[in-house]
Amino acid sequence: MRLIKTISALWLAKVVMLLSRLLGKGKGSTLPGMIALKIYPGLLHSFSFQLRKGIIIVTGTNGKTTTNNMLAQILAGSGYKVLANLEGANLKKGVTAAFIKAAGLSGKINCDYAVLEVDEGAFPGVVSDIKPQAVVVTNFFRDQLDRYGELDTTIQVVSRALKNTEKVKLVLNADDPLVAQLCKKTGQAAFFYGIDFIETSITGVIEDTKEAKFCPFCGNNLKYNLYHYSQLGDYVCPGCEFRRPEPDINVSRVYKDGNYFYGSMYFDNNNINLSVPAGGVYNYYNALAAFAASVYLGIEPQVSAGVLYNYTSAIGRMDRFFYNDKPVLLNLVKNPTGFNQSLAALLAQERFQNLLIAINDNDADGRDISWLWDVNFEAIEEKENYFNNFICTGKRGEEMAVRLKYAGVSTNKITVEKSLEGAVSAALSQESEVTYLLVTYTALWQVDSILNKKAKRVGYSAESMPSVS
Amino acid sequence: MVIVLKVCHLYPDLLNLYGDRGNVIAFYRRCQWRGIEVKVEEVNLGDQVDFSSYDFLFMGGGSDREQNLLASDLGEQVENLKTAIEDNLVVLAICGGYQLLGKYYLMPDGTRVPGLGILDYYTEAGNKRLIGNIAVNLQMGDKEVYITGFENHGGKTFLGSVEPLGKVMSGNGNNGTDGHEGARYKNVFCSYLHGPLLPKNAAITDYMISQALKRRNKNFFLNDLDDTFEKRANSVMLERLL
Ligand SMILES: [Zn+2]
Repeated sequence: MRLIKTISALWLAKVVMLLSRLLGKGKGSTLPGMIALKIYPGLLHSFSFQLRKGIIIVTGTNGKTTTNNMLAQILAGSGYKVLANLEGANLKKGVTAAFIKAAGLSGKINCDYAVLEVDEGAFPGVVSDIKPQAVVVTNFFRDQLDRYGELDTTIQVVSRALKNTEKVKLVLNADDPLVAQLCKKTGQAAFFYGIDFIETSITGVIEDTKEAKFCPFCGNNLKYNLYHYSQLGDYVCPGCEFRRPEPDINVSRVYKDGNYFYGSMYFDNNNINLSVPAGGVYNYYNALAAFAASVYLGIEPQVSAGVLYNYTSAIGRMDRFFYNDKPVLLNLVKNPTGFNQSLAALLAQERFQNLLIAINDNDADGRDISWLWDVNFEAIEEKENYFNNFICTGKRGEEMAVRLKYAGVSTNKITVEKSLEGAVSAALSQESEVTYLLVTYTALWQVDSILNKKAKRVGYSAESMPSVS
Repeated sequence: MVIVLKVCHLYPDLLNLYGDRGNVIAFYRRCQWRGIEVKVEEVNLGDQVDFSSYDFLFMGGGSDREQNLLASDLGEQVENLKTAIEDNLVVLAICGGYQLLGKYYLMPDGTRVPGLGILDYYTEAGNKRLIGNIAVNLQMGDKEVYITGFENHGGKTFLGSVEPLGKVMSGNGNNGTDGHEGARYKNVFCSYLHGPLLPKNAAITDYMISQALKRRNKNFFLNDLDDTFEKRANSVMLERLL
């Protein structure tokens, strides 16, 4: 009976997958999973036993997609057959769709590892169905608060699910107190990664929203010997035992030179260099998380480092186009930390630019857009001369315009354009040396397909714009 | 002579959820655009404050964890704050800050976490969070206005002798049942609206500025500003909700 259900759910989902691709609706990445789960809710569970080596889950606020893709590339580069939800479809239906895609028509999955990016809110539902061998947690920042209440709630949701899971290995960011606490909070064993020191010029002066001010165990103010960015750094609680754990994978110093971030560590009696195509120091953290997970899985560190050195990013996160001879860069924004980093990158360019910002407030974007007021748009004021026009669009483009006005941007440089198509046209055609498009999640594919019609895609650039997802 | 208004942003490290600092930014800018100088001072845990010396006090929202920490800190200065409020200090308190000014917060297990007890209302923990876009109708001076924002609160507030800030046109407001949103006492404005509230509801901001000037006996004509962007942002949400 179970087999019949599996097969019928699978076949129908595969048909939907094909159709949605033919019709050009989305990327066929979630709808098939949704339909298959409706027919047979146990589908994911029954699939999960077929992997020869195991399942790795990546969760956290920022860097999930990148970390997951990096880990998948490392494992594939080591000769394993890997199943992954590479398109950022990170709810249960998206995870299910990834299995459906990998399954043969008989329902057989011929893979060693499943490497899955999972949204924090969807995390309990996924781990109750499939038993991961390891869970990687990247960081916790404020993101799309309204879906789950508050950051505390999000952490609690993940923490509780981990506590209720049978033995699982955690791969944790030691530099983020909100992540590092999970080891003690859940009683699960952890493998920690961290960075001792980051060249200050790299961390840059980004006015960040620091999230973790209090010890999660005793409530005292955490003391920092060193801040990297946001709440990441070397912290210690004056009131109890809680402090940055000594990382198993510990990079001594990270610095940027040209198109790369360089760092090295001492591990297993060897000196290992871990160098990653630049983007921002958070990109180094993503690579480090993937590296740590791969080392935990027994991959040769030098092999992992080699794959990461040549890493190419996933679709949609830092797409590069040309319009006539003008470079056009598209990037996803979804929370203050990520937006600040994108903004810092484009302010550092000092090139005459058009900036398009598309803000939607659909469920997948987060219905509450008040986080825009935590983004440091005030940094634009003294570099306003480098901007020709700020084009605000999306369902909440009007409010984005208000945010820019109150950040001190001259109103004659702010345009509200309701239609995405019109906004993209204006951003491309108006005078500038470069055009940036910063968009929220549900605007990403729309803007991407508009750009595909109007401009020439030239691939993905790892150094031009930061990827935060 | 240049007019200077002093703004107190209370516990910005603790009470700053959902972009609440946008309220301070809006107050600051709308003064600045009219040639009124503004000094923003951030007051943190442990600081001694003379509330009467300020012209505008802003208290934002915080997570439950953080609110417990500061009721005790602020408790010592409660008389000082009460006096300033009676003396018409302009206050905007959002969400957690709103709850804090009231009598108590009733936990699900029946425990009463005391508030500052300055205004007559109490809050009780609800079983589900009230989350979503909200539209409110209210009277601001001689103007009737429709304001919009985003609410996200677990507590339900019930008013005693204080007036509500406005009527809920769409959304939940104080408790999702009596149609009231926020509270109003003298120049104290309490609300569950994040968004933040002031930037796209310019009429409220201007009314608060004019009340602050009046309290200092300043004869200052608050000229109209070009609020095209603000009105558009507000009406997009109003059209969606009403
Ligand atoms: Zn502690």
